[in-house]
Amino acid sequence: MDLNFKGNKTTACLLLGAALVICAISGREFMANAGFDDLVPAAGFERKMLSDYFDGLRGSRMDTPVFVQNGAKSGGSVLILGGTHPNEPSGYVSATLFLENARVVKGRLFVIPFANASGFTNTLPQEASPSRIHITRSDGSARSFRYGSRDTSPIDMWPTPDIYIHKSSGQELAGNESKNLNRAYPGDPNGTPVERLAYGIMELLRGEKITLAFDLHEASPEYPVVEAIVAHERSMELAAATAMELIGQEIDMRLEPSPKNLHGLSHREWGDYTDTLPILMETANPSQGRLRGRTDETLALTGLDKAYAKAAALGRLFVPYGPDGKPLSQRVARHVASISAFLEMLSLFDEENGVTVENVPGYEDIIQKGVGSYLGGIGRSN
Amino acid sequence: MDWFWPEGFYAVLMLAAFAVGVFKLKLPVAIAMCGSAVIGALSAGFGLHPARLVGQLVEGMFGYIDTILIIATAMIFMNVVQSIGLMESVAAWIIRRFRKSPFMLSCGVMFLIMLPGMLTGSSTACCLTTGALVAPVLIKLGVPGKKTAAFIAMGAVLGMIAPPINIPVMIIGGGIDMPYVGFTLPLLIATVPLALLVIALLALPSLKKKGAVDEAELETELKRMESVPLTARLFLPFVVLIVLMVGEQTLGMPLQFLVSSASAFLTGRRWNVLESATNAVKDAIPVLGILMGVGMFVQIMTLSGVRGFIVVSALAIPSWLLYLSIATTIPAFGAISSFGAASVLGVPFILALLSRDQIITASGLALIAGLGDLVPPTALAGIFAAQVAGEKNYFAVLRHCAVPSIAIAVWGIALIALANPLSSILR
Repeated sequence: MDLNFKGNKTTACLLLGAALVICAISGREFMANAGFDDLVPAAGFERKMLSDYFDGLRGSRMDTPVFVQNGAKSGGSVLILGGTHPNEPSGYVSATLFLENARVVKGRLFVIPFANASGFTNTLPQEASPSRIHITRSDGSARSFRYGSRDTSPIDMWPTPDIYIHKSSGQELAGNESKNLNRAYPGDPNGTPVERLAYGIMELLRGEKITLAFDLHEASPEYPVVEAIVAHERSMELAAATAMELIGQEIDMRLEPSPKNLHGLSHREWGDYTDTLPILMETANPSQGRLRGRTDETLALTGLDKAYAKAAALGRLFVPYGPDGKPLSQRVARHVASISAFLEMLSLFDEENGVTVENVPGYEDIIQKGVGSYLGGIGRSN
Repeated sequence: MDWFWPEGFYAVLMLAAFAVGVFKLKLPVAIAMCGSAVIGALSAGFGLHPARLVGQLVEGMFGYIDTILIIATAMIFMNVVQSIGLMESVAAWIIRRFRKSPFMLSCGVMFLIMLPGMLTGSSTACCLTTGALVAPVLIKLGVPGKKTAAFIAMGAVLGMIAPPINIPVMIIGGGIDMPYVGFTLPLLIATVPLALLVIALLALPSLKKKGAVDEAELETELKRMESVPLTARLFLPFVVLIVLMVGEQTLGMPLQFLVSSASAFLTGRRWNVLESATNAVKDAIPVLGILMGVGMFVQIMTLSGVRGFIVVSALAIPSWLLYLSIATTIPAFGAISSFGAASVLGVPFILALLSRDQIITASGLALIAGLGDLVPPTALAGIFAAQVAGEKNYFAVLRHCAVPSIAIAVWGIALIALANPLSSILR
């Protein structure tokens, strides 16, 4: 059977019409992820924008909200950065959990839940990522978060160069890394959109004299640096003490030094270009891994996947992978407990610059009650 | 069976739908791939939200938007430089200058073919720029068309792997946070011996053959080819292209090709913009369609879990078969995209080989990933090499690539297997 036939003006018009309909449908799907997700900041938080620290971001899609809460007692300052990679949900959900629960007693707490706002507006082609995840709260309502792309949206950065040359080091990387916020530090006030975003974050770190800064990530379970703390040499002592403290709580977070020859990353450049103590943390997220099976919202929430179970049995993973998978609650609990332990150690190491935050749930609380129990209600499910 | 069901079933269903579309219904490859993607998505239960399914298919196509624009504009560029008379004029000069020393001629031609790939990391760039330049030279000197196309295709694959720019290595390195440093020597070891082998297999025997060329006929043909004098100014489009590719990072390759094409108004024979653009796009449409179809296919493979099923099945192969698995699955996945193979399979494989020197292992994996550009249905290097050599059937060209391709796979595996001893010698 041969279904080929010669086209004519009518078939051409029909094809064009069909293409227009497909454009309209897919365009509508794409636009559904524009804007910001709703947040319910805890009492005491003041909302600013990153452009308040670097005017070059004002009015652009790279600008993003910064929330600040001052404690009654003076102390140091801490930044929690989520959403550097919008396809790593435990990072931005953990930042949101702090934003919606924290009560600062001493020092100042800065939270940026959606660091790369542009990356939240699209998903990466051929990755088949879900566009949203829904987290059930204790009252049965749901909070919805966008699941975005590791990279800045092509709407903001396109075309991509074949080779990305990191400006301050001359390091060469694959071209797609030019859109990755965590390869853009220390940034450039006159550079690409993501370089300007990185520069804005550096300006915040410098301007607010941030004592300790966290960049929250996730990695695939087959990646060697996972369920790990990556520390700059200046943060290493604090990180080592924290890792020991976490072992005491039966939370295993591997400690990795920030490689000196790998440039553009927060744990390297924050430490080299500012006075802050940089910490990057990774939890294990099967929904971004290369070995994953069926890719959907359930995988992002449960981390349960027979492909990963088989890979674990083959000894291909760098983290334990049991029958419960890697649920989002557990990944968020790991980040939150680690940050809490860091704050405790900071106060021990440097009392004057310590930061005390109350009303943050513990590891077991989040796992038992679910992360949704610690997210505020927004009156509707989007 | 638990492992096979249902993802293995979806994989078989999608492949069967594709085969029926192409062989039974005689549909174009692009349409057959699109159809099999839709069938895969529906069988995996993703038809309940038609708008979302349409969104997924369109998103899959966007994975190749850059490649599609590069191919379309590169085809316009090649059409333009042919129209102004540059290609024939250069070919005539090379024939007169080097035809008495076949080895030097073939080495020079091989380097010319590889150069654009070495600078851009793209085999397509090799075929469509210098590949098109040397194709008439080789044919005039007695290398059969199919062998000429195979020579260009192999040179293009080796060019994309040779230093200084190797995108598969960068992709693999990005997956394990390995900086792109220290790869020059390993990548030269990976490519130079193979380039010499390709010369020996595909070009030298024909170039050395005495009496293969009718001298009087060749002289008449050379005179015709030289009708546009070979001046430095005639090279303007190539000069503009090289300057933009090396020095300019913001325009992107599509615009670089268009700007270089526009510079051809200042030199050579007069040419018609509309005619060149129409001819170029007409030639490129089948490949562009295949890329769009492949994009949808990959998206649905990922969505339905077929991709993970394939990757983990490849990793599940016993360790003594690991090398065979690398040598077969990476090129096979390259049928979809060689860069995709570097990402989807290259990264898990390098993680499985962490005890070996990572730089040499990544070089070996990248070399094998380059073979993907010779595997149908995409076979970008094969298709474009056939096109510039005037060969209609690229499968016939690929037959001549078989032996050098096996050599590439064997050499890549040898690099991986000997990564640690090689590393200690190179240090």
